[in-house]
Order: sequence, then structure tokens, then C-alpha cells
Amino acid sequence: MGQFQDVQAFVSEAKRLSQMGELQDLLADGLGALGFKQFAFIHHVPGISPQENVVRLSNYPDSWIDVIRKRRYFSDDPIHAACERSAVAFTWSKLDEIITLSRRQVEIMTAWGDHGFGDSFTVPIHIPGEAVGSCSMGVRAGQALPEDCLPAAQYMSSFAFEAARRIARLNHGAGEATAPRARDLSQRQFDCLVLVARGKSDWDIAQILGISHQTVHQHVEEAKRRYGVASRTQLVVHALYASQLAFADIVDPGQR
Amino acid sequence: MVWIVTSENRHQFVDAIAMMHRHRKAIFVDGLKWSVPVVEGQYEIDQFDTDDAVYLIALDPSTQNHLGSVRLLPSVGPHLLGQKFGYLCDGPVPIAEDVWEITRLCTAPGVKDARTIRRRLATALMEFGLLFGVRQYTSVAHMAWLSQVLAAGWDCEPLGLPQRVDGDDIGAIAINVSPTSLQMFRQSLGLRRPLLHLPHQTQAA
Repeated sequence: MGQFQDVQAFVSEAKRLSQMGELQDLLADGLGALGFKQFAFIHHVPGISPQENVVRLSNYPDSWIDVIRKRRYFSDDPIHAACERSAVAFTWSKLDEIITLSRRQVEIMTAWGDHGFGDSFTVPIHIPGEAVGSCSMGVRAGQALPEDCLPAAQYMSSFAFEAARRIARLNHGAGEATAPRARDLSQRQFDCLVLVARGKSDWDIAQILGISHQTVHQHVEEAKRRYGVASRTQLVVHALYASQLAFADIVDPGQR
Repeated sequence: MVWIVTSENRHQFVDAIAMMHRHRKAIFVDGLKWSVPVVEGQYEIDQFDTDDAVYLIALDPSTQNHLGSVRLLPSVGPHLLGQKFGYLCDGPVPIAEDVWEITRLCTAPGVKDARTIRRRLATALMEFGLLFGVRQYTSVAHMAWLSQVLAAGWDCEPLGLPQRVDGDDIGAIAINVSPTSLQMFRQSLGLRRPLLHLPHQTQAA
């Protein structure tokens, strides 16, 4: 069979599965056939133990999991940091084009290599209202990534991650438990929220929208009340997490 | 409220259509930097915005402002996948009376609850499909958005491996129309009845 037929078979199988263990085996076979030796499909939520509606699938050896746990690598993971900055898939050899690695992150990458792991390919997973996730798959130290297989790996990753989300939901019987609900805001309250998120003061916002300083204050206070939060920063964070506000609303592409 | 806009009833939606083309320019040309034609410096209109195109347009019920929209083209006529991106399909481009293409799905820039509007459009697409006998939609998807599309509940199948085109990884996908998908989208919105509105001049597409 050609590579695309393998992907088609993988996708229809992933849609059918209802057990995380079966998906783990499917991934090991599917990615193994493309030439990858290890993989990790995870939501970037701290902790090692299973949690509700959180995807955590990998075939890393226990020895590496122990290293991550003992040295508390999770919170400084450079791949997670890069996923925050990138919507598109990347290979780890080009990591420094996305982020500037801190000394701690260089240490993590060195430990990765010392453990016998090599170059990898990561597909970031950005779903509104959820923690960022990633699908990473790699080869052993000294081996070359199977470049020809990256498009197939991209599709296997996206469809398998979705299957993992579905199975996690089935297992825990809940809907979108990780996503806080967007609150009903008026258009004006929303306009003020966007400008708050862009770092504008009430006075600035009043000038931009051509309304009074007092009215701006009332809109922002009402938006905070509806989100049940006390500060402007909390308001922005909650609205982002609920996907009422998108990063694109806040960050001008020219500023990046 | 989502309206079915066809060549027959377009005259009832002149303002909404103009607004849709302005918003498309803001999103696809100014925002995403696509190199697609711009008409009179403010409207994104290409060679597929013809009488064959059907638009599903979400309008604000009080202001009649364009909140979001999607363009549908019959696969038996000229369409993006058929004319320009056929090489993204591993086999032949799916062409049949019951296959339509989705392009230019967008929400108005800066609109609140963009996610809800996208869900309404998704629901309307399923309603349209079931109503007019569309079995499958095809589309060209950006890989950066694929996980979001899958998470929204679309039942997708790849039509070929993704490829890098002008710096973006894109792939052709098929989306199956089914009552299950419709039910799931409606549940996510808490809806019990159809969202789609057919202005009385609308003929079956």
C-alpha cells in the first residue's frame, strides 16, 4: 500500500477505537511504520497521573518519565513553549527559530539526547477553550528524521489526538469539562474587553471608542462581574480561556 | 439566524453580501495575507463568486450586519479543488451531484462569540446538506486549523497527503454530512429547531 492508503486506514481505525490502549498500539504501529521510534501525545497540563479529559499517551520508557518527574522538567519543557508560539508543525532541529532556549531548556534538550533520543517532529494542537497540546514523534540519537513521512505523520497526529480526546471524554463521561463557558457580553463590553487586553487604560479606551471615561469603567466592571473575577488581568485570562477572546484580537500581527 | 443566499434571492441581501466581501478582504487578504483578488480596494471577490455560488450567511437579527458566512460551490461546476488544488487529492477530485465544496468560512473581524458563530455555520452546513441531498462536502484545509476542525465535531476524511503551498501546509479533506453531526452541533448550541432560513424565492439548490 502507498503512504496515503496507510494514512486512510489509520484514520478510519482511529475513529472506530474506544479504548486508549488500542489507540496507543495503533500509534506505535502507524508511526513505527513511518520510521519513528518514540512518541508522546499530550495536553500540556502539569502532572503525570491520569486526569479527566486530558490526553496523555506516550511510549517513553519509564526511565525517561522518571527523569522528567525527578528534575521537574515539565514546567520548562521547550517543546511546550514552542507550541505556544507556533500554530504549525516543526522539527526540533529548527526549535531555535521559534523560541530562544533558556539555560534550563538547553539542559532538558541535552538530557533528551543523553537518553538516546534524537530529532523529532511536533504537531501543536490548539483547540479553543483547552490547554495547548502536542503530538511529538522522533527517532533515536544520530538517526535522521524520515522527512518524506512528515505529511503522513501530520495527519496521523491530528486524527489520533482527536480520537484520544474522544476516548478521554467517553471514559470520564463529561462534555467539555476543561473549557470555561464564555459569558454573554454586549458588543460594547466586548469592545472594551479587547482594548483592556491590548493594555489600554480606561482613559485610552474612552478616546478610542468616543465614549465617556465613566461609561468605559462601567462596561469593564460589568464584564468583570459577568466573569465573576476581580481584576482586569483575570478578566482577560478568563475570556481567552473561554475563547471569547482570541490571541489574534489582542496581538497585532505586525507586533510579533 | 443563518440565511441561504442564492442567485435568485441575492437582491434581498445586497448590503449583507457587500459586508461579507469586505470582511473576507479583512480576514483573508489583510490578516492571513492570501494572494487573492481584491475588487475596488475593499472587496475580496474571486472567479468563483458566481451565480453558481450559494452562501450561508449569519446575520445579526437586530442590525442585519454580517456576522459570518461560508461559500458553497457544486463540485460538478468550477470550484477551487477542481480548478486549482486538484493535486492535493491522491485520487480523482470527488465530483458528484451530492458533493459540494466549502470555501471562505469566516466570522466578522472583532465580532464577539466568534466560536458560537462558527458553530452556527457548522450547524447550518449540516442542515443545508441534509435538506438538499448533499452527502459530502470537500474543502482545502490549513493544517494549523485541522485539530480545531476535528475537535469541533466535523467528520473528516483526508483526500490526499498535505503539501506545502506558498509556505502553508494545506490538505484536501472531505466532510461527511450526517444527522449525527447535525445533532451534535445543535446540542453544542442548545438548539432544538432548524437555524437555517429559506427566503421564499429560494429554489432547491
